[in-house]
Amino acid sequence: MVKFTVEGLRRIMDSKHNIRNMSVIAHVDHGKSTLTDSLVAAAGIIAQEVAGDVRMTDTRQDEAERGITIKSTGISLYYEMQDEALKGYKGERSGNEYLINLIDSPGHVDFSSEVTAALRITDGALVVVDCVEGVCVQTETVLRQALGERIRPVLTVNKMDRCFLELQVEGEEAYQTFQRVIENANVIMATYEDPLLGDVQVYPEKGTVAFSAGLHGWAFTLTNFAKMYASKFGVDENKMMERLWGENFFDPATKKWTSKNSGSPTCKRGFVQFCYEPIKQIISTCMNDQKDKLWPMLQKLGVTMKAEEKELVGKTLMKRVMQNWLPASDALLEMMIFHLPSPSKAQKYRVENLYEGPLDDQYANAIRNCDPEGPLMLYVSKMIPASDKGRFFAFGRVFSGKVSTGLKVRIMGPNYVPGQKKDLYVKSVQRTVIWMGKKQESVEDVPCGNTVAMVGLDQFITKNATLTNEKEVDAHPIRAMKFSVSPVVRVAVSCKIASDLPKLVEGLKRLAKSDPMVVCTIEESGEHIVAGAGELHLEICLKDLQDDFMGGAEIVISDPVVSFRETVLEKSCRTVMSKSPNKHNRLYMEARPMEDGLAEAIDDGRIGPRDDPKVRSKILSEEFGWDKDLAKKIWCFGPETTGPNLVVDMCKGVQYLNEIKDSVVAGFQWASKEGALAEENMRGICFEVCDVILHADAIHRGGGQIIPTARRVIYAAQLTAKPRLLEPVYLVEIQAPEQALGGIYGVLNQKRGHVFEEVQRPGTPLYNIKAYLPVIESFGFSTALRAATSGQAFPQCVFDHWDMMSADPMELNSQAGQLIADIRKRKGLKEQMTPLSEFEDKL
Amino acid sequence: MDLLSNYEISRTADFIRSRSFTRVALQFPDDLLRDSTKVARALRSELGRRVRLFVMADTAYGSCCVDEVGAAHVDAECVIHYGHACMSPTTTLPAFFVFGKATIDVDDCVQSLHHCLSTNNRPILVLLGLEYLHALQDIKAAMSPRLQCTGSGLMVTYAEVTSTIINPSEDCDRRKGFFLGGLTWSIPTGHKMEEYLLFWIGDEDSAFANMILTLNSCEIVRYDAKRSQLLKDFSHPKKILRRRYYLVEKAKDANIVGILVGTLGVAGFLDLIKQMKDLIEGTGKKSYTLIMGRPNSAKLANFPECDVFVYVSCAQTALLDSKDFLAPVITPYEAVLAFSRAKEWTGEYMLDFCGLDIPAFGSVNHTEEARFSFIRGAYIEDVQPTGNGGQRIEETLALAESTEKALSSSNQLTDSILFKGTARSGAEFFAARSFQGLSLQPENPSPPSLLIGRSGRAAGYADENQQGRYSS
Repeated sequence: MVKFTVEGLRRIMDSKHNIRNMSVIAHVDHGKSTLTDSLVAAAGIIAQEVAGDVRMTDTRQDEAERGITIKSTGISLYYEMQDEALKGYKGERSGNEYLINLIDSPGHVDFSSEVTAALRITDGALVVVDCVEGVCVQTETVLRQALGERIRPVLTVNKMDRCFLELQVEGEEAYQTFQRVIENANVIMATYEDPLLGDVQVYPEKGTVAFSAGLHGWAFTLTNFAKMYASKFGVDENKMMERLWGENFFDPATKKWTSKNSGSPTCKRGFVQFCYEPIKQIISTCMNDQKDKLWPMLQKLGVTMKAEEKELVGKTLMKRVMQNWLPASDALLEMMIFHLPSPSKAQKYRVENLYEGPLDDQYANAIRNCDPEGPLMLYVSKMIPASDKGRFFAFGRVFSGKVSTGLKVRIMGPNYVPGQKKDLYVKSVQRTVIWMGKKQESVEDVPCGNTVAMVGLDQFITKNATLTNEKEVDAHPIRAMKFSVSPVVRVAVSCKIASDLPKLVEGLKRLAKSDPMVVCTIEESGEHIVAGAGELHLEICLKDLQDDFMGGAEIVISDPVVSFRETVLEKSCRTVMSKSPNKHNRLYMEARPMEDGLAEAIDDGRIGPRDDPKVRSKILSEEFGWDKDLAKKIWCFGPETTGPNLVVDMCKGVQYLNEIKDSVVAGFQWASKEGALAEENMRGICFEVCDVILHADAIHRGGGQIIPTARRVIYAAQLTAKPRLLEPVYLVEIQAPEQALGGIYGVLNQKRGHVFEEVQRPGTPLYNIKAYLPVIESFGFSTALRAATSGQAFPQCVFDHWDMMSADPMELNSQAGQLIADIRKRKGLKEQMTPLSEFEDKL
Repeated sequence: MDLLSNYEISRTADFIRSRSFTRVALQFPDDLLRDSTKVARALRSELGRRVRLFVMADTAYGSCCVDEVGAAHVDAECVIHYGHACMSPTTTLPAFFVFGKATIDVDDCVQSLHHCLSTNNRPILVLLGLEYLHALQDIKAAMSPRLQCTGSGLMVTYAEVTSTIINPSEDCDRRKGFFLGGLTWSIPTGHKMEEYLLFWIGDEDSAFANMILTLNSCEIVRYDAKRSQLLKDFSHPKKILRRRYYLVEKAKDANIVGILVGTLGVAGFLDLIKQMKDLIEGTGKKSYTLIMGRPNSAKLANFPECDVFVYVSCAQTALLDSKDFLAPVITPYEAVLAFSRAKEWTGEYMLDFCGLDIPAFGSVNHTEEARFSFIRGAYIEDVQPTGNGGQRIEETLALAESTEKALSSSNQLTDSILFKGTARSGAEFFAARSFQGLSLQPENPSPPSLLIGRSGRAAGYADENQQGRYSS
């Protein structure tokens, strides 16, 4: 039975102080979806008994099968709080009804883009950390992302049940573990602190940390216990809270609080004495079926059990008892309502991050004030496949104004430039929809501060967009999301039956829409390529492609393809020269590798074509030791005019040079996209134009003469500068117990990986290993690792950098030479590389 | 004499006499040019002084097409075309084709054909290179007793050349059945082309390439007459088609299209160019028509503003693909696929532009939905076609506007116009260039003093050799 109606939900949407938009983020397998269940159950969407097992937000079949979340799922929940519970709430509120728009996100690194999309439309984040495993790689990544978006976090230390049942740890030891987990999380949060967001660290004594057991559906914050004991001890609740954490000890014998362990055997830490041990006691009584002892204890705690519940035994009894005593939803809800910001509060400081336009225009102000009467500003963060095939819901957040059924909206796509018509549409919203559990319900309109799904815009929104009212022609769009992963793993797909090609094309288009990270392209050879963030991501995408987007038509998937880069090791051994087709023009060039870090600086956009030449020359001369004058003579970046290769003019006093600049640049764009080795992109090469000799008549030095010549001389320069291949390398982080280390090292060695860091996680038997692993070797790495460590090691791979392969690609038998031969074969190029003599001319 | 039969002198003379032509152009491909004088002499001795003969060589476009423009220079009344021909219909002049006679071992060929027939349980269609046409009757004759003795219901169909004369009045739609590079054949009703095994007698030349691409759904074997052996397994047409598919996808992203005139003879080329222009304009793209003879990379690179070129030519010279081209060159059929959104690549392919179904101007449906570009891996917005009036104004203002923009905005915009193909017209591209020609107001109005220029050849000027600057 659902405890609320659409009308009820819609009503609270107007009270912006009573809304919380939050996402649940964590490392993979730390129990996000399980914990989310408790909240969903409390809203009455699923039965309390099955909470923790259903994983309500894992709606896809493959999510259920694999036990991991793949897509982030939004759900709107309604709660009516008791006056009692809200007593301590100081912020603005209207009534006791609350609306929580909750988004459960995946924890696997391959799906980080889903997390990014979820964070954009929420204001707070519930960070879930496994109390045993502690803060893991992905915890850090998502926390960093959250703080980057100015999302306020609260923490829950999850899987408490493991402490009691599995590990049976003593109170003090458990406290130390929890303390460490919280500290680790705080260290990260402190690193990414933002003055506008204020102190984002979490403190148990302030109620921003919860302790939960998602599987069993219970949780508590120190407030729960503080309330209980405050009356007993006759002290203030806040005072009690402080005593329940940190260096506060209580000796029941003397009934005294001390700030140090007095050494007396009965003296225990406040937390242990008053929180941990009572829970432990209840749990063990339940587990041992000592019902005669149990009922009085429960009575004392004010927990009532229904008659049929009293019949339960063992674990089910324990679960029931704990749920009744410390319901997870109460603790978590309280934490969210008290400590996460409402949209009106959050948008005050988020507006700077969100809005691209001037921060004092009416749109910025409307967002800042979360003004329902202001102009519509809505950000669509993802497209969700609808049940009718091929259609999508546009899912997003209203930042100001209202979106309603039938409203004409201005859709500003990612390439929209204010004042121009590019990537701009005006369309009507067919229907506005909110999610209530598994069902979608239509509503008349949705005001600012809420998440919403819209029907009828999918043809005009590709992945994300900003929507505003039809007439608001001077609105700027909301800033595009920045993803932390990039699509590096690629496969070629083709259809088994040639006539299915239109289906494949249609399917790829839909796939590209449904996932923010996947990239569908086509190779020069005409093969369709699907690129994803990792092996798992790709696997899921291809499954979706075949089953959902192509109606089951069979596809053939190639082995994973990795793209390489071409670079040079040294400066060209001589100045090379190429003549134009008419032999009247000559270009002289040299290639040299860029200074360390320069290519990365260009990737990051620290140095780029848009820079002020003075600033650029300052960075280049100070950080990379360039000559100041030379830094001003950069002709261009490439490929795609922004890539990490350069052309620099080193000529002195050459006539007509300005005339051929565009042609040389065009040739360079072309050549740097398709290097001489295997037509892979070039990277980190600086081409120096040493001299040019041009025909005196303009007609003989036109583009037709210069462009092909520039391309040839660039290739010649590359080939004379000891060309090398760069391969992409993953940063792998593995967490495993000590006995698995041997297996891990074995597998890594086999796969050309190398470990550069190995640390034991303090207080745990777990080790954290960081290693570099070539992407090309990473296929099947997880499987091999699982096999070698009997499933104890779990790797997370993220693209890290390009690594030079030391082998000389010009030697056919070397590893690099072999790779080039393979790439050329795949691309349908001539097997032999074009020799230098084809590019370089002699006088 | 061999020459007489090989060049079919008497038959040619009969043709000329029967139509009483007095000015005749003889068109030779480069590889047969050495025989041209002998042929002309032989013909003259047949025809006498009354008929004037002109030898034409070095055809501007493909030597397979009839060079009507060349013939018009000498006011010829007909063209005798020697060597490999594409048999494209002509516009103004009648043409008589002499294919030459290549040697072939008829017995061995028939043996191979029979072997094919007995191992594959399917009907066979025999196609052949025009230079082997002379042997077709012999092959037919040698084959029929073998067919009778096997007695099975298996069929062999032969493609024929209906006539070696092409008259300009003939309409390409008139033909019945299948037509490909001069060959015609028909298959019984109820049969499909895909059921046939194609047996090609001839070399791996452009006619063969034309056939395997056009009939790409059929299985093909090739009998190499020079080496007398049967060759199977041609995987490369699939490869070529995939590559063409890529080029079509690439063409979809183009804003500026260059129409390359690659023929001045094939009937209907002017209409086609007109239709192409309309088609391109209908999609809101800009087109420029260029005549540059046979395209090469240097010629194409003179038009860096074009994102794609459409090459209008005869079927056998239509495929131009080189790594050296700055922009892809596609065929009219591919252009139709790329520029009309209703059309999809289905695997069907044609090179001949006769019978090409070009959507009429204005009939192309404009959906507002963004188009997915596989080149960029993202949805992009196409340029929207504007009404005629608007277009004019925009065009005239483009230069002024973009010059203004170039002055005010950063080089980011010009970069993307110059090197990423975002220009909408040649004027916009020109305005973005960093060098736009000599300025009308010279900075230094006084004439410069005389200077001594360099001397010598371009391969190495006199002053360079002495210095030896780059000799190392």
